[in-house]
Amino acid sequence: MNPFQGGWAILLTLLVGMVLAVLHLPEASPPILSWLRPNWVIMMLFFWTLAVPQRMGLVFAWLLGIGLDVLLGEPLGLNGALLAGFTYVVWALHARLRVFPAVQQAVLLFGLVVIVEALRLIVLLTLNDVPPSWRFPFIALASAALWPPLRGILEQVQRACRVV
Amino acid sequence: MRRSGAGYVLVALLCVSLALMIVETNRPWLVGARAIVATVVAPIYIVAEAPYQFGGWAGEELSSRRELMDRNAELERRLLELSHASQQYLALRQENARLRELLGSGARLSADVVVAEIVGVLPGPTRHEVVIDKGKNSGVTVGLAVVDEQGLLGQIIEVGSLTSRVLLLTDSAHAVPVYVARTNLRSVAAGTGLADQLQLEHVADSADVREGDVLISSGLGGRFPSGYPVGVVSAVEREVGASFAAVYVRPSAAIARSRHVLVLFRVEASDGAGAAVTPPTAGRATPGGGR
Repeated sequence: MNPFQGGWAILLTLLVGMVLAVLHLPEASPPILSWLRPNWVIMMLFFWTLAVPQRMGLVFAWLLGIGLDVLLGEPLGLNGALLAGFTYVVWALHARLRVFPAVQQAVLLFGLVVIVEALRLIVLLTLNDVPPSWRFPFIALASAALWPPLRGILEQVQRACRVV
Repeated sequence: MRRSGAGYVLVALLCVSLALMIVETNRPWLVGARAIVATVVAPIYIVAEAPYQFGGWAGEELSSRRELMDRNAELERRLLELSHASQQYLALRQENARLRELLGSGARLSADVVVAEIVGVLPGPTRHEVVIDKGKNSGVTVGLAVVDEQGLLGQIIEVGSLTSRVLLLTDSAHAVPVYVARTNLRSVAAGTGLADQLQLEHVADSADVREGDVLISSGLGGRFPSGYPVGVVSAVEREVGASFAAVYVRPSAAIARSRHVLVLFRVEASDGAGAAVTPPTAGRATPGGGR
């Protein structure tokens, strides 16, 4: 009675993450908010890789990243590599990470997002002539801060859609 | 957990990514692939923009009769003004074409346009790109200029079937050749990464540029059409001993506020002046003009 075992819920939350990634803020919002944009897609991926590691694949994460590359207008393959690498690391840490309380997971997520965003910046600085930006620790900070509530929401989704 | 062989898959994916990035930076082979992915992910932009679209729609639906009448009156007044101006323009254009024929330089290219709506703004304070809802299906190609009702906005840098990406004038990777309308001084207006500022590059300290000077696209370089307003000089800073003056420009186009924009198609030889297309600015080197 549960077609695809809730796979569409995984896909849907990841799509929501992509929408949030390209959503632009209203003109009137304070500029500080644009520095505190979390990396939504990574957070969604983090949750599902911890919750149902057997359903997440490296190639899937990579394809997701290719979509993100085009959405964000970044070099093709950049987000693919970052997301696949991220998924692999989360897999490797999965056994310990899974039983951590949300706050401890948030700390680890902070570290991982800092690394991902720093790598992204390095690649962008090498390939494209972009001005250096010091946003990456703030992206990680926002991601970590929003992790506990997001985890709560996604757990509800997982239960409601019986993703196993 | 299936971990066996995952390491090899990861290494393979990283290699593919690296290859893609290197190829894309150096060769144009991946433009087609990008366009395909862009078509697939286009709905995501549209969903992300939906709250704003809805806000605009609700605002229109809920506005009162009085407001609508006021707006209608205002638009009618503007239409009248513009049609008056366009009558003059028609006469001027004919006269201009005649004079250019006399000078032996080809007619300037006039452009066909398509109206597009901005459906996405790339996030981040350092990115100055927007997504419009017209793509390959409407004939849009990479390199076309985009204007709004007040001036030059940017250029198309990527085309999907249904959407395309526009690099705005203010992006720090963008520059547009311009001339000062008052003195014909040629220069290049480069983006600064700030939403309301451009900077003129390599303007000699002694050059005649003043606050309030209007900058027009010169069409040199062949990418942008000539004759579109780019901006107004907002400040000139001359430093003793420096070889170049710092000239700041406020863009004419409503860079952060435009909703509807025009994509200008290049039209080969128009105005019935024959096929001899000369560089659009060839006829403008007036004596006493630019450097």
